[in-house]
Amino acid sequence: MSSLATHAPVCVTFRTSLPCELDAVSAARVEIGTFLREQEVHQEEISACELALAEACNNAIQNATPEGRKEPVEIVAICTRSKVELHVIDHTAGFDWPEPTGAPDWQEEHGRGLFFIQSFMDRASYFRGRNENSMVMRKMRASRPNFASPETDATLRIRLTETQQALTEMARELCFRSETLAAICRCSADLGRSNDLKGFAERLMNDLLHIAAAEWFVVRIIQPAEMLTPFVRSIDAPYPDIPLASDKVISIEAESARSRHDMDFGPVRPLASNDPLARHFPNASGLVHPIQMDDALLGTLSIGRSALDEPFSMQQREVIRTFADFLAIQLLNAQLREEQISTRLLSHEVEIARGIQQSLLPRELPELPGFGLSAFCQSARQVGGDFYDVLQLSKDSVLLMIADVMGKGVPAAMFAALLRSLIRANLDSIVRPGRVLTRINHLLFEDLSTVNMFITAQLAVVDLARRELVLANAGHCPLLLAGGEGNQVIEVTTEGMPLGVLREAKYEEVSLSIPMEARLLLYTDGVTECRNAEGELFGEERLRTWLEGTAVNKTSESLKDELIAKLASFEASPTLTDDRTFLIAAEAPSAEVVV
Amino acid sequence: MKIQDIGDVLTVSNIKELAAGNSDSFREEVRAAMPSRVKAVEIDLSDTDFVDSCGLGALISVYKFVNNRSGSVPVRLVNPAPSIQQIFELTRLHKIFEIVKTE
Repeated sequence: MSSLATHAPVCVTFRTSLPCELDAVSAARVEIGTFLREQEVHQEEISACELALAEACNNAIQNATPEGRKEPVEIVAICTRSKVELHVIDHTAGFDWPEPTGAPDWQEEHGRGLFFIQSFMDRASYFRGRNENSMVMRKMRASRPNFASPETDATLRIRLTETQQALTEMARELCFRSETLAAICRCSADLGRSNDLKGFAERLMNDLLHIAAAEWFVVRIIQPAEMLTPFVRSIDAPYPDIPLASDKVISIEAESARSRHDMDFGPVRPLASNDPLARHFPNASGLVHPIQMDDALLGTLSIGRSALDEPFSMQQREVIRTFADFLAIQLLNAQLREEQISTRLLSHEVEIARGIQQSLLPRELPELPGFGLSAFCQSARQVGGDFYDVLQLSKDSVLLMIADVMGKGVPAAMFAALLRSLIRANLDSIVRPGRVLTRINHLLFEDLSTVNMFITAQLAVVDLARRELVLANAGHCPLLLAGGEGNQVIEVTTEGMPLGVLREAKYEEVSLSIPMEARLLLYTDGVTECRNAEGELFGEERLRTWLEGTAVNKTSESLKDELIAKLASFEASPTLTDDRTFLIAAEAPSAEVVV
Repeated sequence: MKIQDIGDVLTVSNIKELAAGNSDSFREEVRAAMPSRVKAVEIDLSDTDFVDSCGLGALISVYKFVNNRSGSVPVRLVNPAPSIQQIFELTRLHKIFEIVKTE
């Protein structure tokens, strides 16, 4: 190579730029002139280049758009032994290159710039781009600089061989790169169409075999349980999972995954006889490459060929790494996509369920003479199946219902909706809550038991004409009733299985008279299971005590607010962990007078 | 740039270059200095190493200015460098201007 040292370099490039001002052209021209002089370009050729450059710059500046005026004019000068090429990149609206013309009329003061460029340069072209255009001007060099020493045949031959080698190398490199790129593009396009990650990986790896001149591949991916599981491979035989952590399994793949290093195998470092790879590929040579992205290990890629072949070249290794990186990106993308989809689905489901649940609750409660009715229903983050309903039976009577569907999400909300409709459809003229529950259990049993869900519910008919309360319970918390002499609180309930547990369940009902200054409380277990900082439950006892202590002349609405506040002050965490629903019926303070 | 009015000949010298950056000011300054009775204009290009199409335009403008006013007034270009003379020849302006060599 020392023989080349005396020669001028094959190609020298010089870049500069100038602000979009005519005053700046001169300095840039001088700069380029100096550069060309350094390259031993002949003075005449330099003058021609300087003139053409100045004209091109003038043109770029005078015609720049208001936006383009903020951009610099860029100049690239490329000097080879045979020619000088000048590129002037402008930000004008662009123009059409005129046909070569003669000199303009002598009296014309303008319009000679392009004429000069055409006259002084050997070739000039103008390329219009979207935001910028470029003028490319070429001047052939008539004379080449003299070399320090004349070349002998021998040195010429050496140079020729070197050049040929370099060319072959460049061509191979180019070939490799374009093949790699084409394969990656093809596979990504496929992936975009089908979303089939496995098929994508298979095609990508088959392309890799072809490009890297290999015979087989095995791609394993890491499963959450620290297991290297076969993902795609070029053999059909069964291929075992390899636990990553275990030291007992001898596997070059696990070793590569653990160490995060490429592992070679071949004649020099043969595979252990009990290595899973050796079983399928005895006497193979190749390499195992860990598939990783940033710090995340995603799997391994093993690729190889018959041991007699030479090991992979540096280029082939680079291609293998490129493909592995690309596969890693796609694997990660697929993971992210899946996570996104499931999160989106979940949040969508929650929305739907919440929508259903909200639509089930009565917008306003019916009027009951002398009684106030108030309800509260608050959902936890995940939608549960709590709901309540109040139905007017006659002018003096209502049906109070409270229920808790055991389950979450859309199915729970669906059953709540179903239950609500069934109850509305099964209201007889004389309401018998026990009979209603029996019938509904029978109707819902099949559906509920197939999805392993059940519903606790409580129906209470409040008949003010008879001052009678009729109640039936399907596994729900008891109703609390306060009032009468001594303001005693009693639990009103019946034995009853939740709906959906026994097909032939029969629901009894209990009736009792409504005391003076009565207050009724129906609730779900979210109320009693509210916990304080010590983890203690609010419990039924506290609820009873509270109801007992409430003043008799309070409206149902103020009782509701009182209970909400009571629960809030008891509760440790401000976020609700379960649905909380309750229904209060309270005899209005003025009712005393009426009765 | 130096402008001298010697009798009825206007001499312009010390011109580093005549290009887009300074052609407008050249035109204005020379026109402003033009005496009403001028017999010849001499533009000394000895120190000028570059002329572009704008510079050329300015020279033409000076030529037209003096000849519109006073008939046939020669405009002489003194000692242009070969590369600059080439431009005049290419544009056939060497027949309009008088090219004078003193060296």
